[in-house]
Amino acid sequence: MASASIPVYSSSNNPLENSSSHNASRESLKMEPLADCSLLPGEERIIDKDIIYICPFSGALKGKVFITNYRLYFKSTDALLFAYLSQEKFEENGWSVYKPMEEFRRQGLPNDKWRVTFINANYELCDTYPTILVVPFKATEEDLRKVCTFRSRGRIPVLSWIHRENQAVICRCSQPLVGMSGKRNKDDERYLDLIREANGTAKLTIYDARPSVNAVANKALASYLLHCMLVSEVRTEEATGGGYEGDDAYQNAELVFLDIHNIHVMRESLKKLKDIVYPNVEESHWLSSLESTHWLEHIKLVISGAIQVADKISGGNSVVVHCSDGWDRTAQLTSLAMLMLDSHYRTLRGFQVLLEKEWISFGHKFANRIGHGDKNHADQDRSPIFVQFIDCVWQMTKQFPTAFEFNERLLVTILDHLFSCRFGTFLFNCERARDTNELRSKTVSLWSLVNSDLSFYQNPFYTPESNRVLYPVASMRHLELWVTYYIRWNPRIRQQQQSPVEQRYIELLALRDEYLKKLEELQLSDSSPNSSHLSNSSTPNAASPTQHITHLHTPF
Amino acid sequence: MMEHIRTPKVENVRLIDRMAPRKAMVGTLYLSATHTIFVENNPETRRETWVLHSMVASVERPPTTPSGSHLVVHTKNFQVVQLLIPQERDAMDVQASLARLSRPEKYSELYCLSINPNANKEEREESWSFLDLQADYRRMGVPNNLWVSTPANSEYRVCDTYPSELFVPKSATPPVIVGSSKFRSRGRLPVLTYFHQDTLAAICRCSQPLSGFSARSQEDEQMLEAIMKSNPGSDYIYVVDTRPKLNAMANRAAGKGYENEDHYANIKLQFIGIENIHVMRNSQQKIIDVGELKTPSMGDFLWGLESSGWLKHIKAVLDAGVFIAKAVAEEGISVVVHCSDGWDRTAQACSVASVLLEPYYRTMKGLMLLIERDWVSFGHKFSHRYNHLEGDPKEVSPVIDQFLECVWQLSEQFPCAFEFNERFLVQLHRHVYSCQYGNFLGNSQKERRDMGLRERTHSLWPQLWKDRAQYANPLYRADHTQTQGMLRPNTTPYCFKMWKGMYNRVEKSSPPRQTPTDLLTAVREETQQLEEELTNHQERIAALTKADQTKGNAGQRKINKVCEEECRPGGLAPPTGDGPFTSPPQGYSPSQGGPPGSAMTLPLGPPKGPGPDPDDLSSACSDMESGVADLSSRSSSGGDDSKDPDEAVYCTA
Repeated sequence: MASASIPVYSSSNNPLENSSSHNASRESLKMEPLADCSLLPGEERIIDKDIIYICPFSGALKGKVFITNYRLYFKSTDALLFAYLSQEKFEENGWSVYKPMEEFRRQGLPNDKWRVTFINANYELCDTYPTILVVPFKATEEDLRKVCTFRSRGRIPVLSWIHRENQAVICRCSQPLVGMSGKRNKDDERYLDLIREANGTAKLTIYDARPSVNAVANKALASYLLHCMLVSEVRTEEATGGGYEGDDAYQNAELVFLDIHNIHVMRESLKKLKDIVYPNVEESHWLSSLESTHWLEHIKLVISGAIQVADKISGGNSVVVHCSDGWDRTAQLTSLAMLMLDSHYRTLRGFQVLLEKEWISFGHKFANRIGHGDKNHADQDRSPIFVQFIDCVWQMTKQFPTAFEFNERLLVTILDHLFSCRFGTFLFNCERARDTNELRSKTVSLWSLVNSDLSFYQNPFYTPESNRVLYPVASMRHLELWVTYYIRWNPRIRQQQQSPVEQRYIELLALRDEYLKKLEELQLSDSSPNSSHLSNSSTPNAASPTQHITHLHTPF
Repeated sequence: MMEHIRTPKVENVRLIDRMAPRKAMVGTLYLSATHTIFVENNPETRRETWVLHSMVASVERPPTTPSGSHLVVHTKNFQVVQLLIPQERDAMDVQASLARLSRPEKYSELYCLSINPNANKEEREESWSFLDLQADYRRMGVPNNLWVSTPANSEYRVCDTYPSELFVPKSATPPVIVGSSKFRSRGRLPVLTYFHQDTLAAICRCSQPLSGFSARSQEDEQMLEAIMKSNPGSDYIYVVDTRPKLNAMANRAAGKGYENEDHYANIKLQFIGIENIHVMRNSQQKIIDVGELKTPSMGDFLWGLESSGWLKHIKAVLDAGVFIAKAVAEEGISVVVHCSDGWDRTAQACSVASVLLEPYYRTMKGLMLLIERDWVSFGHKFSHRYNHLEGDPKEVSPVIDQFLECVWQLSEQFPCAFEFNERFLVQLHRHVYSCQYGNFLGNSQKERRDMGLRERTHSLWPQLWKDRAQYANPLYRADHTQTQGMLRPNTTPYCFKMWKGMYNRVEKSSPPRQTPTDLLTAVREETQQLEEELTNHQERIAALTKADQTKGNAGQRKINKVCEEECRPGGLAPPTGDGPFTSPPQGYSPSQGGPPGSAMTLPLGPPKGPGPDPDDLSSACSDMESGVADLSSRSSSGGDDSKDPDEAVYCTA
C-alpha cells in the first residue's frame, strides 16, 4: 500500500492520487491538521488506529491505519527526517541554484549536434535519471527507447558536459547488457557512433571505471564463473548479464579500464581508515597502517581516472564514462573531470551546480549509500563514494590553492550535512523519489544556508582564470590524508579556525584597500582637472591581485 | 687542483631533465678547479649550470648506450644531475676527474681556502664580526649572580673541543671544574648553554660520565649539585641522556655510561632514545631513495617512508627538545643534557629546546646565533660529519640535517612563528656541506683557530643576511601569538611529513604553481609600496600647503612628477625573491611597454652577468640584489624553470 515500499521517510501520497484536487487536500488539512491524509469529497473516515505493518519489502513499520468508507490507508509514523520538520528560514532559496536548462544553455546547448529531450519527463525511460536529458541530435525518441533496453537500469548514454571550443563531450551511462554470450545491440552501437560523430572524433573512448577483471567477470564466460565468484563485483551482473563494450561490436570505439574498485572495497577501506584514526590515532606504525587502508591509493586511482578523461576531452576526443550502474564511480569521474576542465564549477555557486547535476539529479543513491534514518548500519549498500569524491576535491584544492573560489570549510560543511538530514539536499536516491516526497517544497536546501553566508566559505586566494585546465598530480608523494576532516575530533586539529595564512592575507588585502582609498581621496581632494591622469596611473593597483597574478603567467 | 682535471672540456653533452627525459639541453661541459659547468649551446639562452665540486656526493656511470655514456651526479643536498656524453672515453675521464675533485684530501684544496684572503680584506674581517656570541649570552642575562664566566678553558686546557669561554655555576670552584672535566668523556664537563630568565632554570650540556660500573667523582657530583643550586627555586635537576637506555648501559663496559642516581643527590635521570649516527646515516639513505623513486605506488612510498625510520628519528629529536623545554619553562627545573660525547644528539636536543623556548631563535639572526653556539662553538664535528675531506665514512652522519628538519617540521605546525622560510633552511643545509665559507670547516673552535680561518676565509652569516628578503616568511609577525613564548608542538606521528623541499625537489617544483605564501609575499610588497606612495603624497601635500598655492598649474606639475616617479624603474621597492613571483612594480602595467629594469619586460637575451670568477665569492652565489641580476640568474639557471637558481648546487653567474 501507498508509502510502504519507500522506507522510513515515506510520506502520505500514493503517486496515483496526485491528481486529486488541491481543494480537497486543503480541505482535509483544515479538518485534520495532524493526519495529513487527503480525503476525497464525500469520503469519510471511519477508523484510525496505531498498528505495526509488516511490510514484505522493508520489514516492520510503525504507523497509523486509516479506514474510510472508500479505502484503507496506511501512514508510517516512524520519525520523519528532521529536514521535513525544520523551520529554518534563509535569505536565499537554495533550490533555485540549479536549473538544468540554464546550465545546458551556459554550455552552449542545445546546438545543431545535440538536442534536449523531455522523453523522461515522467521518468518512464529511466526512473533514476533526471527529466531533462541532452542526446545526439540525430537520435530519435524511438532510438532512445531501444538503447534503453540494452543499458543496465535504462541508464542510456547522455551528455554531461561539452567543450566549448572543440565540441568534445563527456557522456555518462551504465554498463551494456552484453551478458555471458556477448550479445550485441545494433541500436546501442549506432547510438554510440552518433556520439562519436557529433564532433568528428575518429575513435570514441569508452572509460569503464571498473578493474578489467571485474568487467570481464560481469560478462562471465561459464568456465570463468567459479573464479569470478571470488571477485567481489560479480554480484548481480552475471544474472542481469552486464559487461562491457566489445571490440568487434563497437568498431569506432576504444575501451579503457580505470581500475577503480567497487563500493564494497571503498567501504572497507574507509572503515580501516577510521580504525586507525579513531578513537586513537595509530602511533607506532602510522605510515604502514595508513598504507594498509589503501584509502589514498583509491583516491589516486579516482583522480588519475578523471585526469585521463579531462585529457582526452582537451585533446578534442569525446568520451563515454560508465561503471556498473553509472551512479557511483561514473559520477566521481565525470564530476572530477568537469571540475578540472571547467573553471565555472570551481566557483562557489558553480560547485553547487556540479553536485546538483552530476550527483543529485543523476541519481547517486544518497539514501542507500548513506542510509539516512536507517538503523541498519551494516547494509551492503552503504559506501562512502561521495565522501571519497569530496576528498578528491580537497586534494585538488591543496594542489591548486588559487583555483577554487570555495574553501575547505565548504567541503566539511557539505559532508556534515550529507549525514545531518537538516537539509533536503542529499535525501533520497533520485529525482523521482524527491518529486514524490515533495522534497523541494517541504525541506530547506543546504545551499540556502551556504549562499546566505557566502563570505564564510570563500577562499581569499582565489584568482579567477577562465580557460585553465587543472591537472593535479596523482603521485603518491602529493596526496595526503585529509587530517582536518578525518582527525578533526582531535582538539589539536583546529579546523574551524581560520588558517593563519588566510587570515594574514585578508588583513593585508584590507590594508591595501585602505591605502588605495586614502590615495584616491588624496587625488579627489586635488581639484586639478588632470587628476584623472594620476588615477590612471594607479588603476593597475586596483585590479590586482587578480591582474597581478595573470601577469605572472607570462613565461620568461 | 688543476692537475686532477683529465679533460677540461667536453662538447656535445646533453643535460637530461629527469622529469621529462626526452627534453635535454645540448651544450658544452667544462671542468674548472672548483666547479663543473654546463653551458647550453643555444645562443638565445645559453643557460649555465654550475655544480660545486665539494657538493658532489657520487658520480655513477651506468652501462654505455648507443647514444653515449650517461653520468649521474648525485649531490650532497640530494639533487641529481644527469649528463649524456657521446664518447665513452670522455665520460670515463670526467668521472675520474670528478671522483678526485669532489674528495679533497687537504683543507687547502677547499673552495673557501682557494681564494685570495686579502682581495676583500675589510669585508672579510667585517664578516666575522657579524655575530657576537657573548652578546647573545648577555641577552639571556648571563653572566649574573648565579652563572659566571670561567677562564678555565681559555687556552683549551680543560677541553680542546669546547669553546674558550664557558659559563658555570657561581659556586663551582676551579678544582670542581677540573675534576668534573676529568670524569667526563673527552673532558666535556657540564656547562651552561641556555638560561631561562623567567624561571631561572638552565640547560647545561656535557658528555657521558666515566662511571663504568662503579666509578664516581666527588667533583662531578659537586658540579651537578652546583647546577641545581644555581636555580634557587628547585630541589632537583633532570639529567637527560638522549641515548636509548640499552646503548647507555652498553657504554658502562667501556668505563663510560650514565649517572648513578644513588651517587648523585637530587637528580632525575631520563633516557630519550635518539639512535646513534650510524643508524641515522642508513636511515637518511633510505629516505633519499624514497624521494628519488620515479612513480612510486602507495605501498612503495608509505612503506618506504616508514621503513626508512627517518620521521621516527625526527620525532625522537623533537621529543627530546620538548622534554627539555617543558622542564625549563613549565616546571622551572634545570636540565643537564648529554649523549656519548655530547656533540651530536646533545647539540640537537639543546638547540631544538632553544627554538621551542625562545622566540628570538626563531628569527634569522637568532637561528644563526643558535647554530654558532650549540653547534659551531661547542665542537660539533662538522668536517667529519659532512665529509669535507676524504675521511672515515663511518664518521659521516646527517646530524644537523635532522636539526634543520625539526625546525622545518615546527614551521609547518606554526606557520607564523618563524621569521625565515623553508628556503633559508635549505640554504643553511647547503652551506654546511659546500665549504664556500669558512664557518663550518674543522671540528672544533680550536681547530678553526689553528687553521686561521678568520684570516683566510669569509663568513657565511652576513651573506645570508644580505639576501634576507628572499628568506623572509611573509607570515611572520613579531606580535603574533605563535611568536610569543614557548612552542608546544604536536608530536604524534601523523604530524610529521616528508620534507619534499629537501628530499624531493624535482617533483615539488613541478608543475609550477603558486603557493598561498607566494601570493602573500606579493600582496605584502604591494601594500608596502602603497604605504610608501601614501607617505610620499602626504609629504608632498604638506610641502605644497606650506608653499604658496596661488599658481593655478602647480597641481598639475605635482601630478606629473608623481607619474614620472611611478614609472621610473626601480623607483618602487626593488623586486625581491627569485621565484616566478618577481613582481613588476605595480605602478604601471606591462602593456605600456615599461622601461627595462622591470623583470617582466626584459628581453630574453643572453645574460650579461659577470663572468665566472673564482676569486669573487659573490659571483658563486646568486646575487639577488638587483632586478637585473635576478633575471640573468633566472635565464641561466640550470635546466628548466622548475629548478630554483638559488637552490643548492646550481650556482649561476
